[in-house]
Amino acid sequence: MHTDLEHEHTLARALRELPHDSARPYGWDEFRRRSQPRATHLAGGRALAATVVVAVAASALIIRVGGFVRHPHAAPGTVHHGVATLSHSAASPGSGEESYAERYLASLPREPALVDVGTRAAVATLEDDIAQLDDLVSAARTGSTPPARLQALLDERTQLVSSLVQVRYAETLADASR
Amino acid sequence: MNRSIVLASSAILVAGAAAVSCRPTLALADPPAAADSAPHAADSARRESDEANLEAQLETARKQLEAAAHQVAELTAQLSRPVIEGFKDFDWEMWDDHGHAIIGVQLDPQAPGPGARVRGVSPGGPAAEAGIRAGDVIVAVNGAEVKGDNPARQVMRLMRDVKPDSKVSVRVQREGSTRDFSVTARSGPNFLFAREGLPPPGAELLPGMHAPLLLQRPFMDLELATLTPQLGRYFGSDKGVLVVRAPAGGALKLEDGDVILAIDGREPTSGSHATRILASYQPGEKVTLRIVRLHKTLDVETTLPERSGERHAAAHDEHARAVAPVPARTLLMRDQT
Repeated sequence: MHTDLEHEHTLARALRELPHDSARPYGWDEFRRRSQPRATHLAGGRALAATVVVAVAASALIIRVGGFVRHPHAAPGTVHHGVATLSHSAASPGSGEESYAERYLASLPREPALVDVGTRAAVATLEDDIAQLDDLVSAARTGSTPPARLQALLDERTQLVSSLVQVRYAETLADASR
Repeated sequence: MNRSIVLASSAILVAGAAAVSCRPTLALADPPAAADSAPHAADSARRESDEANLEAQLETARKQLEAAAHQVAELTAQLSRPVIEGFKDFDWEMWDDHGHAIIGVQLDPQAPGPGARVRGVSPGGPAAEAGIRAGDVIVAVNGAEVKGDNPARQVMRLMRDVKPDSKVSVRVQREGSTRDFSVTARSGPNFLFAREGLPPPGAELLPGMHAPLLLQRPFMDLELATLTPQLGRYFGSDKGVLVVRAPAGGALKLEDGDVILAIDGREPTSGSHATRILASYQPGEKVTLRIVRLHKTLDVETTLPERSGERHAAAHDEHARAVAPVPARTLLMRDQT
């Protein structure tokens, strides 16, 4: 018993002789504040790096799959452009079904809260061209237009819709960054 | 050219992500702390400097993004022109020489009547804006019933009587019920130049089907917001479009906080509408803007600056007018009321 008590005293003394716990240099708020710039740089860098990878991959995919391949339906002699496009199933209205690209466009608000006039003019240009092209397509379908020529119009529409998706995507991103 | 579009598209992705990656981190930043000591003051100054730097990067990224989007639209418009021009020997029966109006639908001539089935609607087109969908069946246009052997062709014929920018009453059948839509028609393709032959070199920006709405500075620097009732009370107007950011250097004589009530008498109902109206003007033209500034209404007359280094000389414009006396795009834009 006596031995035990003596041991406890020794222990208590040793504990008392320990140096005081260092005061924290700053609280949680200050820690968070000081760590913010570092976190910002890390997050921004990671996002940018990831985006570069995505952009390169997307460009490669576009070029490989839909990009610089001539459309097989283009009529001989018609001017056609092997440009970055969505596939027909993705960008052209089929038998009453809206394409994925068009559903995406329909899901966007009519205009962003803050309208950048330059970008909006680009959007309006493409929208008007698509509407005019659709008028041509309707006429071509009701008339005696050779299938190859109709297909050339549809290819062109695909290109325009694809570009509209890209421009509206850019507009949405720019608006979200404000 | 093709690679240009791909590069512009990639630029959209890169610049867009850069813009977005900056904003959320800024949003997480704490509010400025009270600078009650020297170290805190130094930290605060450093933080403000960092934020200013990020804001500058963000603005740069946003500009790159918008420039890339602009480039995609411009290149696409240039590329599509030859295909459309390839239709110059097409069956012209369906079109008037000028002023042909469209509502932005693809019709299905194979579908059985009565009525013309809508195969698809043009994204952002008049029909889509009004609420018409793919699969709807148009049974009447401006009160005239659509019936007969070729309802799609009949709808197109009925549209020949419609003037661009006028309201068209379209009745459709959808899932067994009848619905009426009011659609604001836009100007259709103008093929007069095609009948007259292809334009001469350098006349590629004929004010016809493919005259782009792409704007030059100072319009490019303009930012607008559609006025809500709450904003309207603050800015002293119950209608119009708010100028959130005016072009730098006093161009267009607009200022931040102005409300545009009318552009040469045409009243914009939204930022998009104002954009379409503004895009109808050529460099060097005079424009009268009716605005509200500091709760006072005033008219501001401004002359749009000439573009530099372009082939759009006055002589060319004269030639373009001679070849295409009814510029479809211009008609479309000017009458947007």
